[in-house]
Amino acid sequence: MVNELSMARRTALYAVTLLAVVYSFFPIYWMIISSFRDDASLYANASLIPGPFHLVNYEVLLGLTDYPTWFMNSVLVATGTVCITLVFSVLIAYSVTRLQFTGKTAIIGTMLYAYMFPPMMLAIPLFSLFVKLGIDDTRLSLMISHCTLTLPLGVWLLWGFFKQIPVDVEEAAMVDGCSRLRAFVLVVLPLTLPGVVTVAIFSFLLSWTDYTFALVMIGSDQLKTLPAGLDTMVGLYELRWGELMAGSTLIALPLLVMFMFLSRFFIHGLSAGALKG
Amino acid sequence: MRGERALYLILGVAFALTALLILYPAYHALELSFQRLDSFVSEPEWVGFQNYRTVLATPEFWAAFGRGLVFAGVTILLQVVLGIGFAMLLDARIPLKPLVRGLAVLPYLLPTVIVALTFQWMLDPTVGVITQGVRLMGYEYIPWGENSTVAMAMVIALSVWIWTPFVTLAFLAGLQSVPGELYEAARVDGATGLQRFWHITLPQLRPVLTVVILLRAIWMFNKFDIIWLTTRGGPLNGTEHLPVLAYRKTFELYQVGEGAAVSAISFLILSAVIFIYFYVFPLDEKEQ
Repeated sequence: MVNELSMARRTALYAVTLLAVVYSFFPIYWMIISSFRDDASLYANASLIPGPFHLVNYEVLLGLTDYPTWFMNSVLVATGTVCITLVFSVLIAYSVTRLQFTGKTAIIGTMLYAYMFPPMMLAIPLFSLFVKLGIDDTRLSLMISHCTLTLPLGVWLLWGFFKQIPVDVEEAAMVDGCSRLRAFVLVVLPLTLPGVVTVAIFSFLLSWTDYTFALVMIGSDQLKTLPAGLDTMVGLYELRWGELMAGSTLIALPLLVMFMFLSRFFIHGLSAGALKG
Repeated sequence: MRGERALYLILGVAFALTALLILYPAYHALELSFQRLDSFVSEPEWVGFQNYRTVLATPEFWAAFGRGLVFAGVTILLQVVLGIGFAMLLDARIPLKPLVRGLAVLPYLLPTVIVALTFQWMLDPTVGVITQGVRLMGYEYIPWGENSTVAMAMVIALSVWIWTPFVTLAFLAGLQSVPGELYEAARVDGATGLQRFWHITLPQLRPVLTVVILLRAIWMFNKFDIIWLTTRGGPLNGTEHLPVLAYRKTFELYQVGEGAAVSAISFLILSAVIFIYFYVFPLDEKEQ
């Protein structure tokens, strides 16, 4: 009797698990298998089983559209954003945790406050400023815009990490003759490496997936990043779903690979609210 | 301590950067909202509160505000309920736990563009896979491109799909901190699973939930990309909320001042919310 009950309960639990997996994963699965179908099978009755397997969508996408250019733009902007964010957020977070002064929480508070800003509230004035500076419609302007998202995040996350490292650790190193810089690089930084990796991952993620800023900042087709570029393919001709799904799959690919190998950092960052949205 | 001067120098840079990247654009947004300009290159004209008066007098502003509240309210409710369900499931003894956990988080990591595109493909009125499923149940297709209520339901459904994992993860982390003895004691007293959830889990996780709901409220109220990518605020403005209105005014109608005024107003509403947030959960507490 007891066994039967627990059997029933276990079956129910497994069924709900399966349902949750299908709910979360089916759209991604469908995106991937659609990207490998040719038009004949795409627009026939949809089979839930993968196949037939064709590369025609990828060939068209990479050979005949601006997709490769957008890909390079995305790589450039995301890399730039990650580098700027790492350098500045490490320096800011470190100095804020190591110095005692009034208004310290004000900096962190402002950063966190900015993290909650409506994207439009930042995008409109930033674009206006870029026009005044003459750098509107450039990859640099998009990089700077992305830093308004990633820098607050980086400072916030690293602040938490640096706080946990006792000052004694560096002081001991400095007593032993290290300079502040050496003590920082050799002692503090290795201890906060997980934090630095988390910030790098999420800066990349925010920049790579951003659509709103890319839409506002970039007008020229040749300078668009992947999300904004792919969206322009929607209204252009008739809907080429095969190519759109191939394009989507390629945007998701780096994220899926990173997620598989670095999921520990992902979960930590996500739990700390690292993705604005 | 040695090296303090360098630290102060860095701190100066930090102040400057914060000011330049965050405070100055915020100030400039306010400045724009008091000006009349038809493009970003034209000479601005100071008009005082004119833009605010114009914007607040139009019914489209209030309609957009209302839609934003509906969109945010319903998505938050569904995200929280579903997120708690997911967290409870992922905390239970399920097979292939790490894999299931990873898959459950995945939607949150995907760029909004590909979610928007994939669901539009699945909902394609002739060959979409969801359309074909709907047809098996005897309906024609889901008219999200023609009916504004259906369109709103769709953007809500997509938003729930994407952003529920945020609640799941927060709640899951919270669950680990609930002392096991509480459950043991309840079990001894003969409490059912539902009772244990209602009388132990939920009260224990109330702080987590408060933070999660506030953050979700802030972010859903400002969500631009998912709506713009799927419906462009249509059909017949049926899904246009304040961020979409601000974007359209600024970049399509070239009423930059009014667009800035719309986002300034949503920002003020939001600031009130954030103020309450910081009042309830002060920063200094975490500095201990």
